[in-house]
Amino acid sequence: MNDSDILVPAPDAKERRRAGRRHFLRSASVATLAFGGSALLSACGGSGTSTPSATDSSTPTPSPSSTDTLNDQDSFNFLLNLAYLQAQFYTVAVTGAGLPNALIAKGDGNQTVQGAVTGGRQVTFTDPLVAQYAREIAADKVAHVAFLRSALGAATVAQPAINIDGSASGAFSALAQAATVVAAGAAFDPYASDENFLLAAFMLEDVVVTAYTGRQSTIATTLLIDAAAGIHATTSYHAGLIRTVLYAKGSVSTPSLLTNAGLISNARDAFDGSTDLDQGIVGDSVTSNISPLDSNGLALARTAGQVLNVLYLNKNAVVGGGFFPGGVNGNIKTSAAN
Amino acid sequence: MTDLPQDSGAQLLERLEAGAERRSERREFFRTALGAGAIAAVGAAAVTLGSRAMADTTSDTNLLNILLNFEYLEAQFYAFAVTGAGLPSAQLAPGSASTTTVGAVTGGKQVSFTDPLVAKYAREIANEKAAQVAFLRATLGTAVVAQPAIDIGSTATSAFSVAMRAANVVASGVAFDPYASDENFLLSAFFMEDVVVTAYKAAAQLISTPAYRDAGAGLLAAHAYHAALIRTVLYTKGATTAALRTQADAISAVRDTLDGTTKDDVGISPAAIANSQLAALNGLTASNIVPAGTDGIAYGRLVANVLNIFYLNSLAVTKGGFYPNGLNATVVTSAAN
Repeated sequence: MNDSDILVPAPDAKERRRAGRRHFLRSASVATLAFGGSALLSACGGSGTSTPSATDSSTPTPSPSSTDTLNDQDSFNFLLNLAYLQAQFYTVAVTGAGLPNALIAKGDGNQTVQGAVTGGRQVTFTDPLVAQYAREIAADKVAHVAFLRSALGAATVAQPAINIDGSASGAFSALAQAATVVAAGAAFDPYASDENFLLAAFMLEDVVVTAYTGRQSTIATTLLIDAAAGIHATTSYHAGLIRTVLYAKGSVSTPSLLTNAGLISNARDAFDGSTDLDQGIVGDSVTSNISPLDSNGLALARTAGQVLNVLYLNKNAVVGGGFFPGGVNGNIKTSAAN
Repeated sequence: MTDLPQDSGAQLLERLEAGAERRSERREFFRTALGAGAIAAVGAAAVTLGSRAMADTTSDTNLLNILLNFEYLEAQFYAFAVTGAGLPSAQLAPGSASTTTVGAVTGGKQVSFTDPLVAKYAREIANEKAAQVAFLRATLGTAVVAQPAIDIGSTATSAFSVAMRAANVVASGVAFDPYASDENFLLSAFFMEDVVVTAYKAAAQLISTPAYRDAGAGLLAAHAYHAALIRTVLYTKGATTAALRTQADAISAVRDTLDGTTKDDVGISPAAIANSQLAALNGLTASNIVPAGTDGIAYGRLVANVLNIFYLNSLAVTKGGFYPNGLNATVVTSAAN
């Protein structure tokens, strides 16, 4: 696609858009047929220990575009791990149960091992609005898992082991302890109240936004850039929703929500290195700080390694811990060394 | 120029019903097109789908200038609402390589906020929009376009009044004053916020230069935070002031009607979850803070469709509505719908 296409004054833009979609549809299905079971994917996805299969001889000659494809697979699998975590958290909070196996199993061409979810239970929401927000976000996160899996096809990584436990040894408690939201060794139970649920959602939301903000420019394929931008925007809406509700409740009735959100932000920022990549929700005396932006008004970004620092709750280069006890699945799995 | 019909209740309803149908078509498209391993498909289809090719900074410059036009509009609206004054003139002038000229802002005044939280939100957003204008101007350098003429007035013929009449927020011939109350301010902010998010969402795949792609991603997220803030406040206040939700829904419907047949907008009123792949969620009543389809993908709009909304015209025109003389940019024509 020529970038300037979109910039030409076009009274028939609607028609062109339709034509573009038809064109895309045709290309995508042709290509899917061409790859069939996709030996390329099984050779390169996930664990890196896959055994060459009999169909490998039909693997196309490597080209720059196939390198792009593999990089994009790695990016989308990385983002899928984050979607698994968030989807499990919200669905268990809303329904008491997690994702069905069909939404967490590996793709046919992938060798990753499926992990279990530790902890999580249904929240008895007090504020009906918070319940409605939680349900909306849960549905979106499930849709993100489904969408990313569908885009990845055979290359889909399985859900890794996930810890969303609310006991003293759970990942949420570890982050809350690091933030001094609770005392050392004490439990922070995300499922005990509206307020705890909102703070736990806050712990994850902005991190995932920074992951998309940082990852976007590495995605090579036009179609996938568009899809990632859509999930990126949706996740930013979610994060903005959670921050707004925390700010409103914190300002009107529960001031500890304001300070605790700030403490959690500081803890996240301490894991990911010396750069300031995180902000609480309080502005100066006359402003809120719903949007965590830099001085240019741009949302903050984290590298994949920095995202994993926060979610592994570890400032060093490691391959697991915190919310992902066995690490995330896929080729991008090591946190940054800070 | 064809103005948005002011007596549009019946027509709007008809188009909205058609919209529900289109939405399910769109879902079908996504399932089919991205269904069977789209990433797997890319290797073979790269020629037609297009991997990122060489950076095209000319197009990037044009695109960023278009987005800057939208930023001028938003920044001026919030600046006036918060301070009673607009952006400093140094933030409006053309770069030395641009032949555009500065247009005036019509209308705009300070809001006497009732809810101190709404005032804090407005100030935060005003500061951030001003920073975004400054950032884009600095990024574009000598190529930066001047602010176009902008209408953010509150008379009966102002753009906001035309838009709000179409949504039946005010009656035929009546003025809508965005600065008269917290509620009017929020509804006006709502009119613009989601639209600019869709512009950045669609722009993501069109930007070539890596640094600009990072900036575009940062701006997309920033605008989505703002839009979420406004929608959440309207939703929350709408729990006790029901009109705010129905008015926001009607404004969303107007946007969606202006910009053609693609479903790319959604109101805020609660609805039962449907078609979730997690069966336990279906039937539960959920909010609508995120304007996305059931695929969880936030909507995007091409520039021409964004212009339908800001020109308040569903046809192919070069100016109108919030931009009385059109954009200062390469694309100035809205889509023919």
